[in-house]
Amino acid sequence: MTRNTDTGDDSGDAVTDGGVAEDGQRSGFSPVAALNERFGSDFVESSQFWLPPFLLVGLFVYGAIIWNLLISLTDFTGFGTPDYSDLDLQMYSRALADSGFVDAAINTFILLVGFTLVTLALGLGLAILIDRNIRFENTFRTIYLLPMSLSFVVTAQFWAWMFNFNNGVINIVITSLGLGRVDWIGNPDIVLWAVMFALMWQFAGYAMVVFLAGLRAIPNEHYEAAKVDGASTVRMYWRVIIPQLKGSTISASVVLMVFALKAFDFLYSLVGGYRPPNGADILATKMVREAYANLNWAYASAVAITLFVMTLGIVGPYLYYQYNRGNL
Amino acid sequence: MTNQDKRLSRRHFVGATGAATLAGLAGCSGGNGGDGSDGGDGDGSDGGDGGSDNTLEVLHAWTGGDGARAAEALVAAFEEEYPDVDHEFNPIGGGGNQNLDAVVANRLQNGDPPSSFANWPGPNLQRYEGVLGEVGGVWESEGFEDVMVDEAVDLHQYNGAYRAVPLGSHRLNCLFYNTSVVEEAGVDPDSLTSVSALIDALETVQSETDAIPMTHGASGTWTTTQLFASTMLGQEGYDAYMSFLDGSPDEAAVRATFESLAEILGNYINEDASSIGLTESNQNIIEGNAAFIHQGNWAAGAYRNAEDFNYDEDWGFKTYPGSEGMYMLHFDSFLYPSDNPSPEATEQFMAFAGSEAAQVAFNQYKGSIPTRTDVDMSQFGPYLQETQEDFASADQRPPNLQHGLGVPSETMTSLNDVISSEFSGPYDVDAATQGFVDAVSN
Repeated sequence: MTRNTDTGDDSGDAVTDGGVAEDGQRSGFSPVAALNERFGSDFVESSQFWLPPFLLVGLFVYGAIIWNLLISLTDFTGFGTPDYSDLDLQMYSRALADSGFVDAAINTFILLVGFTLVTLALGLGLAILIDRNIRFENTFRTIYLLPMSLSFVVTAQFWAWMFNFNNGVINIVITSLGLGRVDWIGNPDIVLWAVMFALMWQFAGYAMVVFLAGLRAIPNEHYEAAKVDGASTVRMYWRVIIPQLKGSTISASVVLMVFALKAFDFLYSLVGGYRPPNGADILATKMVREAYANLNWAYASAVAITLFVMTLGIVGPYLYYQYNRGNL
Repeated sequence: MTNQDKRLSRRHFVGATGAATLAGLAGCSGGNGGDGSDGGDGDGSDGGDGGSDNTLEVLHAWTGGDGARAAEALVAAFEEEYPDVDHEFNPIGGGGNQNLDAVVANRLQNGDPPSSFANWPGPNLQRYEGVLGEVGGVWESEGFEDVMVDEAVDLHQYNGAYRAVPLGSHRLNCLFYNTSVVEEAGVDPDSLTSVSALIDALETVQSETDAIPMTHGASGTWTTTQLFASTMLGQEGYDAYMSFLDGSPDEAAVRATFESLAEILGNYINEDASSIGLTESNQNIIEGNAAFIHQGNWAAGAYRNAEDFNYDEDWGFKTYPGSEGMYMLHFDSFLYPSDNPSPEATEQFMAFAGSEAAQVAFNQYKGSIPTRTDVDMSQFGPYLQETQEDFASADQRPPNLQHGLGVPSETMTSLNDVISSEFSGPYDVDAATQGFVDAVSN
């Protein structure tokens, strides 16, 4: 609403400038006045600016989500039109009985929590190190941030080579340390962690930048005061600085979690198909397989809604928190 | 004045924006949410009114290497034969056929079908139930029934009508080998006429040489599923394999097949199998790092493109042990969507796809063979000529399992789920057997 003050001035001018017809119209229509009274003085006049995007987003984002929810309640498969007359939760009960779905949901959750926590910790560590007035600060910052600028297609292929059993760099390093080789991609107990590691490598730089901005916003006096009081460096960060990074932590973790849910790109590029290695299937890949390999539109929609609810569970509290702080 | 002009122009601008938005919304709702996600210009038909727009649009997935070259040859031959037909051949690569399938599914679902698209016939047609038209007229006028093998005639019909026309055929029950490696090991590939003989040979290679006995690219599950099919055919025979496809599997036969597979995959394949795909795996044969590979004969395309790697001198072919006299069938076909945007041109294209000119042009580069039995094979290399002879004289031509001809696509997905969760190392014979039996039985 704050943004509308400018336009309010303009439209006021327009009336005095000789907008006779408009003036007459205005006094004739009481609903306009009623709407303005209810939602603010320039609700109707400003609508031409916010209404088109409002409608477009409403239709293509929220309309599509609702449509998707409706489809998930049907039994729609194959080609044709879905039958909306018989809506039930059958697809959701089928999902709960499908061990593939349950595994994918668990993997998605592990990826979500594990990836986000470790990436945050790594990013914080990097940010603190870089914030210590080291030499070549900008160079290091660029180096750490660079992986994020790469496409998943590139990083997935890159990690597929790194993880190769025979001539991957990681196994070469491990064997030179006298340890046995590890089948990173082929072992279903390990592959999810390997994928998580690759994603962490890619996004730790992003977390670092967010934390760095947070650190830079903390006044120097806080550091000085802590030092004057005789706090050790560790204690200073732990008790004084890190507690002030709450905002950065929350915004970084929301973005990271959303990236974790979108790990589809990475897995797709890793194997060149919709079926990730055994042990690394997530809801996004399961959804695409059901939709396009089997044309189980309703079932795929149910998986999509599950994924949506998971996302909402993450973003919702964040939005509420921001709303309470008056940022929305 | 200038001030008022400004106001006016701003008001006009706002009005125009509103109108454009409305038009946009109307256009979108008119198109029934069809978002043209394919990037093709299917929406073009909205502008020019339907009837006059009859550009032939063909979608296929031959984007790289042999495939791209074969598709080019096919287009060139089509232009020569039908110079007047407006056409657009759109390759959609990625993930094997997966991206093509997704684009086709979206367009069929949105009521915006292409003129034709490449896919497999047989039970695979089941997933396109209700959106495929009939091309019986083409089969009749071109006399395809007389010149195609019987299996092609059967597999291109669904619900009593022809839905597609075949372009070429690959063979699935193939075992390729690097000649110098098998010679070093002292193995005679031609003597391998059973799966157990193959396993003995793999053991010999392992003990006599440093090479990988059998190279396998298992980053996708499809290679293992098709190896299952060939092994079952070779070890348990034609009848057991066919009853497996027909939905009445003999559990003992499935189990015995998985036991052999577990022995092969557990002992004789490359250690990095799970992190490589077909291309890298096949490279092991070319570079002499491995003795054998099981694949469809598209693998031979890579040998032809490799330098100094010649048929019979450097690499050889053996029918998969135990399946001698059989040709495990694969078809590349063009399917005909109903509600076709260019019915006439599409029928011309279908007639062309089944013709000798098209099949020779395409298959000699693709590394496959014509599905017609009356084609002059002189333009093909010696390996494909032999394949064609095997094809024409085969006792049986069982359909493949992994490439659409044996089971519907949903069953195929279930089978691959089983391979992924139970049989991609560690190899659980019990669970895999149970999974396969359940998946096909239904």
